[in-house]
Amino acid sequence: MSTKEQRERIGLLQGTLDLLILRTLILGPTHGHAIAKAIEFKSDDVLQVEQGSLYPALHRLIKRGWISAEEGTSENNRRAKFYRLTAKGRRQLVLETSKWDRLAGAIARILRPSEQEGKS
Amino acid sequence: MKRRERMLDQLEQEIREHIEMETQDNIARGMSPEEARYAAMRKFGNVTRVQEDAREVWSFVWLEQLWQDVRFGVRMLLKSPAFTAVAVLTLAFGIGANTAIFSLVDAVMLRSLPVANPAQLVLLKWSARKSPNIHGMASWGDCPSDLRDGRANPSGCSFSEPMFREIAGANIFEGTAAFANSGRLDLTGNGPASVINGQLVSGDFFRTMGLRATIGRLINASDDTAAAAPVTVLNYGYWQSAFGGSRDVIGRTIELNAVSFTIVGVAEQRFTGITPGSDYDVWVPLIQGTKINPQQNIRSSLGILDRQHDAAHWWLTIVGRMKPGTPPAQSQAMVSGIFRNEMLHGAVPMLHGGQLGGVPPMRLGAPAVSGSVPAPGPGPTPVPMPLQSTPGNAAIQFRSELGGAPPQSAGSGNVRFGLPAPRAAPVGGVNPDETPSAAQAFSTEEDNPQVALISAQTGLVGTRARYSDPLYLLMLAVGIILLIACANVAGLMLARAAARQKEMAVRLALGAGRARIVRQLLTESVMLSALGGVLGILFAYWGAHTIISFVSSNQTRPLGFAMGVDLRVLGFTVAVSLFTGILFGVAPAFRSTRVDLTPTLKEGEGSSAGAGHSRARWFSAGNALVVTQVALAVVVLVGAGLLVRTLQNLRSVDLGFDAHNILIFGIDPTLAGYQGAQADSLYRDLQGRLAETPGVKSASYSMMPLLSNGLMMTVFHWPGTPEDQTSESDVLDIGPNFFDTLHIPFLAGRSFNASDFELAAANGGDKPTSAPTPVIVNQTFVQKYLGKENPIGKAYGAAAAGPFGVATPGYEIVGVVRDTKYNELRREIHPMMYKPHSVGVATFELRTAADPQALLPAIREVVGQVNADLPLFNVTTQSQQIDRLLFQERLVARLAGFFGVLALVLACIGLYGLLSYEVSRRTREIGIRIALGAQPERVLKLVLQQGIALALVGAVVGIGVALGVTRYLGSMLFNVRASDPLTMSAVAVLLALVAVAACYIPARRATRVDPMVALRYE
Repeated sequence: MSTKEQRERIGLLQGTLDLLILRTLILGPTHGHAIAKAIEFKSDDVLQVEQGSLYPALHRLIKRGWISAEEGTSENNRRAKFYRLTAKGRRQLVLETSKWDRLAGAIARILRPSEQEGKS
Repeated sequence: MKRRERMLDQLEQEIREHIEMETQDNIARGMSPEEARYAAMRKFGNVTRVQEDAREVWSFVWLEQLWQDVRFGVRMLLKSPAFTAVAVLTLAFGIGANTAIFSLVDAVMLRSLPVANPAQLVLLKWSARKSPNIHGMASWGDCPSDLRDGRANPSGCSFSEPMFREIAGANIFEGTAAFANSGRLDLTGNGPASVINGQLVSGDFFRTMGLRATIGRLINASDDTAAAAPVTVLNYGYWQSAFGGSRDVIGRTIELNAVSFTIVGVAEQRFTGITPGSDYDVWVPLIQGTKINPQQNIRSSLGILDRQHDAAHWWLTIVGRMKPGTPPAQSQAMVSGIFRNEMLHGAVPMLHGGQLGGVPPMRLGAPAVSGSVPAPGPGPTPVPMPLQSTPGNAAIQFRSELGGAPPQSAGSGNVRFGLPAPRAAPVGGVNPDETPSAAQAFSTEEDNPQVALISAQTGLVGTRARYSDPLYLLMLAVGIILLIACANVAGLMLARAAARQKEMAVRLALGAGRARIVRQLLTESVMLSALGGVLGILFAYWGAHTIISFVSSNQTRPLGFAMGVDLRVLGFTVAVSLFTGILFGVAPAFRSTRVDLTPTLKEGEGSSAGAGHSRARWFSAGNALVVTQVALAVVVLVGAGLLVRTLQNLRSVDLGFDAHNILIFGIDPTLAGYQGAQADSLYRDLQGRLAETPGVKSASYSMMPLLSNGLMMTVFHWPGTPEDQTSESDVLDIGPNFFDTLHIPFLAGRSFNASDFELAAANGGDKPTSAPTPVIVNQTFVQKYLGKENPIGKAYGAAAAGPFGVATPGYEIVGVVRDTKYNELRREIHPMMYKPHSVGVATFELRTAADPQALLPAIREVVGQVNADLPLFNVTTQSQQIDRLLFQERLVARLAGFFGVLALVLACIGLYGLLSYEVSRRTREIGIRIALGAQPERVLKLVLQQGIALALVGAVVGIGVALGVTRYLGSMLFNVRASDPLTMSAVAVLLALVAVAACYIPARRATRVDPMVALRYE
């Protein structure tokens, strides 16, 4: 049953999760669960993120120095770890976004050549 | 790292918070708390995997997991000690056999030359379209030369001394070294006289090699000048054994061939000779070559240029050290230019004809005899020496071909290797020819003579050539053994994988990644092979030593190859172990992860459903592995069988004489100063005394012993054939009583008497008589040249005086004896003539009543009484001599046989393992059959059938492969075809018997299955 559900949603491309996390954090520091929620919400639930996979990704970004972690209190007064975008992460986001745009554009042109031509 | 700890510590808490938040959200959406929690957890995914992945971000997971896998693997291997033991032992045999043979290959073929920076050393090798016009050519087995008569495109590594001096003087190389075997050296001045083996080296030799002295100094350029006092440098090993490693040897004087030499130093321990496999006791400056061989002077007095100044006598091997920064092509062009100039414009020195005491009919080493030519000494008298006695002389070619066709009819006149006559060589040559014109050049423009610089590492082949074929054959055999071992262990792993299916299913269900499990299983298999490798090195060490002691038991001198497990061998073993582990581990590993979880978890092991499957899947992986093993074992066995048959055939060859209880030893009176006729009377005197020694039944001597690899041939003119045609025969000079001593029966005529020896000595001297030399011939000679004609009294080979030689009286047949083998067992019997021995070296043959070795002290005493300075050399027995001749065959047959048995045992273990596994897997099925009334015989048949069918399929496949492969053994076989049906069927029968035995044990176990136990099996 779970497999069926997955087929209707879209799995994430390798590395895209990092981009989405960075994008989410640009609005301000927040905790893991909130990041997961935000990604789901903003993509109208189309993107299927196995929430657990968020955490290794967060650790990876910390290791690269693109985000930092600090102790904080969540909205319902629980102790939680808050993640914040660093300056380096901000630069990276710009870079990754433009890269993504180019990639998406290129793929779109391949998949829908006529539409693209019509539009331009 | 601290950040890492903090992040990971808090991760678990964080995940709990996350799930809690999600649960709250879900409750807020209206789910029941339980439902909410479940949904939250499902959405989160595999918590353990997340933790692991997060850990992976921070750490060298790879290493951590490896450590984990290793610990787990150790536990798993300890849990099933029987499996582990069989697998490790199997692998140890496979890896050990490979390491042992590889360490031999490494020592013999791959080890770098024992000098500084061997890569900079180059060997000079000349080539031309046609053979150059030279007097003589000798090579000492350092580098193979291809110089057969009239052969197109000859090449070689021997150069004349003037050529060497010219190249060395041209300053092309940083150092230029020349060397040649010094021949037999009679050493006195250090205890009893002994015969040692030395090398003549140019003054720059040791500097060029970049070697240092252990003590004292090495030979340098100033030692190699005419005015220099004779000095010598000792081999480290020889210094230890003969001088006890005493430091006082420096400055001591020893006599080599009656010339005093001062010991100036001892060479580095690792250096026994530049060419692989060579081992010289002493090194002597090149310039002393003429002094230590007094014969050289005699030859000069005959009007022949001595070797040192003769540009047409090529005998030195030249090695140069490249100048850093000079392109090799440039150096090559320079050397080649010098050589070419000399070849095209230098005149071949004239042989001062007319005064020559007859042109030698003698030819040492027929071109047709491969690599089994006696080593000549450096003097003009070719000194036959059994091959094993002098390391580094494996493929010596030494020829005097003056008795060949006249130059006029030879056309271009290029095929002329002539060595001037051995001074006292017996006369008898017909067609004395060769009148070299003074203006003759060595070579012509169109012959394109040139020199190439080749790497000394690959160029200096030495005794390597002798061992390379058998070594590669053995490498192939052990490679196959390793494959069998791999297939064997793979079979075991498959069976185990099946047994561990449940474990795998549980781990997969608990969320283990498939790749992770494969990796874990591979870790286990590599651990097995690593253990096997460690044990294998021990096996290899022991095995290589056994082989080496076998090899050296056969040598009169120590083997020139240092054996040992060095880095290259270790690297090889590590690589082989890893490769093996992956090879046998990968298939079972992938198989065991391809599990359908649900049924595996539900059902127990040994389900009866499996039995049904196995019938349908006849060609299962396990069966395929067993068939492969059996087939490979058959290939090794067939090869071993053929080699063993070859050895048997060689051993049972009809020698033509009785080889038992014959003591052989050599003696060289010229080394002790005997001249001409003195030597003859010494021989006669010794022969008489020895024959009277108690325990000796009969004594004789000959120029060299039979079956010692030495061979001499001669050419003559046979009456009735065209004038310019020459006939050919083997020839051997023998003493009195030769045929009696060796038990060679006379078929007609008589033996030699005293006057025959006098006549032969006279004809061999400067003023031959007009009476033909009496000879005794063998049956083949009679058949070839005489047919039905009465051989006794037949004269042949007489020739009138020619422009270059005096008249020769030829030969007269006085007797006919039975055919015997001459130099070796594989060679067909050729026409043979025996001549009375006069002058030169001789080997004594003594027929003893009992063990020949026991008589040795008495013999030494008798010889010592005649002259205390006459060392015996090459002391052996005729049977030992034959064993030595068959050494390579014995070694290869023994090893191949051992590996054949090993292959068979491994294949049978595989067969046994598979069937045992099948039986235990089908215990329930068998139990049901028995419960339903199946007789034990039926059950026995059920299991045996499978085993025997597998063995048969394997045998058929194996024989098919063997038929394709054994063709390459061709040159090593003797009197047995590569597709010998007897060997094939013997192997098949042997295999069938052993296979039945291997199947019987599990089959018996199957019949003992208790149906009640079997049905309750789960």
